[in-house]
Amino acid sequence: MSVMNDPALGLIPGPLHDRLEPLSRAKAWYGWAGYIAPAVLDTVEFEYFALRNQAALFDISPMHTYRVTGPGALAALNRMVTRDAAKIAPGRVAYCAWCDEDGMVIDDGTLFRLAEDDWRLCCQEPMLTWLLDATWGFDATVTDESDTLAGIALQGPTSFAVLEAAGFDLSDMRPFDHREVEPGLRISRTGFTGDLGYELWMDWNDAVAVWDRLWDADPRGGMRAIGSHALDIARIEAGFLAAGIDFQPVHATERLHRGQTPFELGLGWMVDWTKGHFNGRRALWQVRDRPRSRLLRVDVGGFKPARDALVYHAKRRAAGHITSAVWSPTAKRNIALAHVKAGALDRRKPDLWAEIYTAQEGRWDRRMARLTPLAGPFYKPPRARQTPPART
Amino acid sequence: MSGADAIVIGAGINGLTAATVLVRAGRSVCVLEAAAQVGGMANPRIAHFLYNLSPLVRADLGLGRRDWPFATHPLPSVALDPGGRHVVLRGDEARLAGGGTPPEANAWRDMHARLTRYGAVLRQLAEAAPPGLEGGLTSAAGLKQMLRLGWFGIAMKRLGRRDMREFMRVLLSNAYDMILDEMPDGPLAGLLAADAVRGGAVGPRQPGTVLSLIYRMGHGGAVSLPAGGMATVTGAFERAARDAGCRIETGAQVTQIVIEGDAVRGVETADGRRFDAPLVLGSGGAAATCALAGPAHFDIEAQRRLRNIRARGTAAKLNLTLDALPEISGLPADLMGARMVLAPRADYVERAMNAAKYGEISDAPVIEMVIPSLTDATLARNGGHVLSAIVQCAPHDLSGGWNDAARDRLRDRALAALAEVAPGLPDLVTEAEVITPADIEAETGAPGGHWHHGELSLDQILTLRPASGMGRYAIGPNGLFLCGAGAHPGGDVMGLAGRNAARAALGAEGGR
Repeated sequence: MSVMNDPALGLIPGPLHDRLEPLSRAKAWYGWAGYIAPAVLDTVEFEYFALRNQAALFDISPMHTYRVTGPGALAALNRMVTRDAAKIAPGRVAYCAWCDEDGMVIDDGTLFRLAEDDWRLCCQEPMLTWLLDATWGFDATVTDESDTLAGIALQGPTSFAVLEAAGFDLSDMRPFDHREVEPGLRISRTGFTGDLGYELWMDWNDAVAVWDRLWDADPRGGMRAIGSHALDIARIEAGFLAAGIDFQPVHATERLHRGQTPFELGLGWMVDWTKGHFNGRRALWQVRDRPRSRLLRVDVGGFKPARDALVYHAKRRAAGHITSAVWSPTAKRNIALAHVKAGALDRRKPDLWAEIYTAQEGRWDRRMARLTPLAGPFYKPPRARQTPPART
Repeated sequence: MSGADAIVIGAGINGLTAATVLVRAGRSVCVLEAAAQVGGMANPRIAHFLYNLSPLVRADLGLGRRDWPFATHPLPSVALDPGGRHVVLRGDEARLAGGGTPPEANAWRDMHARLTRYGAVLRQLAEAAPPGLEGGLTSAAGLKQMLRLGWFGIAMKRLGRRDMREFMRVLLSNAYDMILDEMPDGPLAGLLAADAVRGGAVGPRQPGTVLSLIYRMGHGGAVSLPAGGMATVTGAFERAARDAGCRIETGAQVTQIVIEGDAVRGVETADGRRFDAPLVLGSGGAAATCALAGPAHFDIEAQRRLRNIRARGTAAKLNLTLDALPEISGLPADLMGARMVLAPRADYVERAMNAAKYGEISDAPVIEMVIPSLTDATLARNGGHVLSAIVQCAPHDLSGGWNDAARDRLRDRALAALAEVAPGLPDLVTEAEVITPADIEAETGAPGGHWHHGELSLDQILTLRPASGMGRYAIGPNGLFLCGAGAHPGGDVMGLAGRNAARAALGAEGGR
């Protein structure tokens, strides 16, 4: 028993721990929603390149998952999320965000419509009490599936080939489709990497069998199990937000005004004004044209990742900070997500700089790196959306 | 299908007031009342006194410049003592019923003066919408808010340094300690403690009860009986509304508030009719009003607060018909028409309230009663007298539920308690009507059968009334307003909530 799966430490093994533990050379574990999760299993580099060039398996079972069922489920969920949930057909899944009454984002996640009156919400933050509040007065039932539903993310260019070899024919599955491929096993074409990828959902106790089936099927032999660090590089490349890092889930903040609106997070496209009332709508309507800050995707000058750097306007006035930063091996550029105050963005060409600290053989120095805002994700391969997908 | 500029749900005092204010501002208004008669909780079977009816409301309703269009009889208050040493209060003067001055007389005079002064300060806050500075200081409305807060500050300063300090000291405190700091426990202390918690679900030792005592003293604390009973009052309000041009329909139960495009479009009634209006004011409970529109139109947090509003009525009404006038030992006949309070000690009140915490009827209830037929002969029935009593505690959520046996139990306990001071009374009763908080809720829609549609406590007053984020009458979609006792400043047959809500609605026209 390693130190990290000692129950006395408060972390418990997830459904795939017996598979992950023998693969771990780094022994770099961390706590994810109470479960022992790998930060790195082998090395970040091996795992990242497996993910981008072949396929990677990542255990997403610690995600919080909730089932909302009943004739009033659609109305209740539609009052909660900013998008129009009525447009999500059974068999489809959509990325959603939901706000508090002040229009500040509580969390984001994926909303699956399993059947007409049967929904599943997957998100990073615990959301049971919120969902119970959100469904109060509606004919809907909330079930917490966080500890009974396991999930495996299979991502990367060969992921379709792996599934095919494992006996699943998903050639007609489009992005954001999902279906129950076998009794008790649901596969969705979703992921957190911006690449071709799938997520497999099954009962907690069936996770090992599904894992083994994929593991043994890999036709190219290059698939790896990965930890969160490799995934994190990929999600920054895709321009996805991480809760608690790129935005502050408002229920987890104690200080005033730390919440952010969907507009401030670049999620304004998900706000549907036409569908009727949703939580925070009235507050959001007031501030729709007045973001206090914006979350930008930026190209950072130089090679040093701008992790934890402050952002300055004209190299002098503090104007925000970097939330996520990494050297993107695939895009071959130094990329970051940055929160920048609205005042610094008024000009057509904002003059933004990140203050980066460098250490060279014991000597610390400070360097201003130019930030160039970019539209769209840093990395978006066409294969991610191609149907039927390539086997590569 | 028919239309109006505004629809008011419920024709209680607040509903009628709101409607009249709107109609006098030139709007066409339709009031829909579910019951067969107007009046709501000011119904003569439920209410019996006036002590906070606002002159501002009278002016805004055009009910008379100087006085109400009905006579009122100011009544002395008698703190009943089973030992026969009843204390009689007339304003700040306390005397013994049998003659002489009780030892608490001086303490009472001082306390009365103080509480009345404090009441006048707080009344400023009650008479307008709760303060809020959403508009900022750049808007006219924001500036007005600031001015009003300024006036409140000036009123506080005017109290003088010592009084202001004392005001701040006792305001959040409990009535029990404040009273017993000044006087020994006895009938007078008991009466004050009972007044501090009447209608509420707390004992006098609960923090915040000083505030509710001061609240009752907002207009000097004098109690009066309207000539002809409460029916005169509700009749006057109804007439004011009708004379102004208001349409009132009784027996019209609203089943749905119609919302389209985040704005009110009208209401539907149980008989399938639809009334179109861009403005709807609900005088029922806040949660009930929102439920009529449906949960989809309100924010999740607002809904959570609405269902956590504490509204647990503990006061039952007992209406007795008597063969003859009862005798209360030690009380002269000319005082039999007074407001009488059976709460021999402050301690007694606390213990009576204990029962309510556990869903029980008090063994020894606190009773406020009056024999109105003595003051107003028109109220006598079949040659005998009527006795109107408010009995606490009889909690809304009685364990085992309210049924005939429970009603009888309440009646018997009240009569047993009254027999302590009026031994012959039980034998004179020919008819007894018990109206429990559950009955009050069923008849009037008041949540929990609570007098104020929600406990008047520190966490549920001013901008927090009925709950945080909805303290300025508007709630949810455009055009929806709360105008009942659940809104600031509460019930008490006062009319201010309705008046303030109507003014807020007029101010909000043209979009928020």
